[in-house]
Amino acid sequence: MEHTSDNLHVKERLEDHSKEREAAAKRRRNIMNNWVPPMITFVVFLSLWQFGTQWFQIPAYILPTPTDIIAASIQNSDRLLASATTTILESVIGFVFSVVIGVGAAVIMASSKILERSLYPYAILLQTIPIVAIAPIIVIWFGSGMNAIVIIAFTIGFFPMLSNTLIGLNATDRGMINLMQLYKASKWEIMWKVRLPAALPYIIAGLKISCTLAIIGAIVGEYIAGIGGGAGGLGYAITVASTTMEIPYLFACGIAASFLGIAFFLLVSLLSKVLLGSWHESEMNVEN
Amino acid sequence: MKTAQSLVQERQPEEMEKTPIVSMHQVGKVFPNGYTAVENVNTSIKEGEFVSFVGPSGCGKSTIFKMISGLISPSEGELEILGESGSDQQQQSNDVGFVFQDSTLLPWRSVIKNVMLPLEFQNLSKAEMKEQAEEVLELVGLKDYAEALPRQLSGGMRMRVSIARALVAKPKLLLMDEPFGALDEITRQSLQSELLRIWESQKMTVLFITHNVFEAVYLSTRVAVMTPGPGKIASSVDIPMPFPRTDKVRTSHQFSDIVGKVSQNLKF
Repeated sequence: MEHTSDNLHVKERLEDHSKEREAAAKRRRNIMNNWVPPMITFVVFLSLWQFGTQWFQIPAYILPTPTDIIAASIQNSDRLLASATTTILESVIGFVFSVVIGVGAAVIMASSKILERSLYPYAILLQTIPIVAIAPIIVIWFGSGMNAIVIIAFTIGFFPMLSNTLIGLNATDRGMINLMQLYKASKWEIMWKVRLPAALPYIIAGLKISCTLAIIGAIVGEYIAGIGGGAGGLGYAITVASTTMEIPYLFACGIAASFLGIAFFLLVSLLSKVLLGSWHESEMNVEN
Repeated sequence: MKTAQSLVQERQPEEMEKTPIVSMHQVGKVFPNGYTAVENVNTSIKEGEFVSFVGPSGCGKSTIFKMISGLISPSEGELEILGESGSDQQQQSNDVGFVFQDSTLLPWRSVIKNVMLPLEFQNLSKAEMKEQAEEVLELVGLKDYAEALPRQLSGGMRMRVSIARALVAKPKLLLMDEPFGALDEITRQSLQSELLRIWESQKMTVLFITHNVFEAVYLSTRVAVMTPGPGKIASSVDIPMPFPRTDKVRTSHQFSDIVGKVSQNLKF
């Protein structure tokens, strides 16, 4: 019995090397399959844009070419960088608040059905009010500038965090909770050891939605509550650029904002890989 | 407290010790919606016994288990576990182990961390927890898989982990609710032999739910046959076959005679 299992181990070790080679080849194929097609689309799109606008002689104040936009970003790199930094700061703070308060509120609601029933409808209500409608009120209450913008970014990212976390906490396997009750675990031990980790995939899904929303929230906030001078964020820079007709720079700001969103999303995806990679289906490379 | 020797002697049903580890007197459970799950259950389970509850679905097997485990309390009668009445079972968490049909492992925890879970509710140091977990993993033959994650294991191995987790706190009473129900027949048979080996070496009391008569007869010192509507224990059949029971037992005449007798009692 032991003899055969030993042999198996040796065999496994021998197979490991060829498996590694196979895996490396597979990784290369994956890179080809996953990255090459979107890159081709990107290059085709950029060339159509560049040569199309030149061909049809569209003026730069209506549609600047990609090279115009790059030139404008290099020329105004100081301004652009300052604006982007401001927006990053606002959206990160707003995002952190929406995560902490969203998860916290979900934990509270999940531990008491009565609290969930009495609070959740109002969370939905908050979500249905258009952010542009309440933003001016937030500005009136908290003054124009950083505070109001952070609160707007928080408001927009809060609900996805709350609802995702709540669904995750409530979807925990009944058998697991029964087992913990048999061990005489307290409500908070069950929450900490079972329900929160079980809800992690849902929380991460919430993070992925909220992180890009936080940037949208910050930019909307800057539109309404933006402060002038060097301290304005990308949203404020866009309003300024449109009034001064710096259209290539306006495009550069818009693209910068979308790059921020992408970077934010990739960071959260990386976090997701680290936290879920070993055990959750969503982050495993399942073959079939 | 019984000595190891007296427990070994208890293996022969006729010489069993008289200390009941579970005793039920006229126990019944009527749910708030008026549904009577079980009624008039009278049984006394002695230390060292291996008692199986067989019966069709809906005969109240799981309800009896939930009452014994303290998840629900009986609405009628008296229930005593380890000398304490069912209503105050503070001490119970360490003394009773549970295995369900589903292995209910935490997917984000390694095998050894899953096994350590019940110990986290006791005052033990990390080193003690690890030592005890390694001990039971060795017992179920999964010592080499301590760092594996549940998804990397087969169904049978996951069930072994689940059994190890139930055993880690050294319970006096092990409750198993259809633990092998979801396994294939080959895995099921090897786990049955494994379970008997563990039961004999650990000297504990096992209550086992199944609807497989062969499984019940092979494993048990006694089989409680249950009938539905409302659920009750219809009869209790002693299994006089000696331990250790090898695979040969499964094909013996005595075995099929007893299976026949138990199956007869299942008809109602």
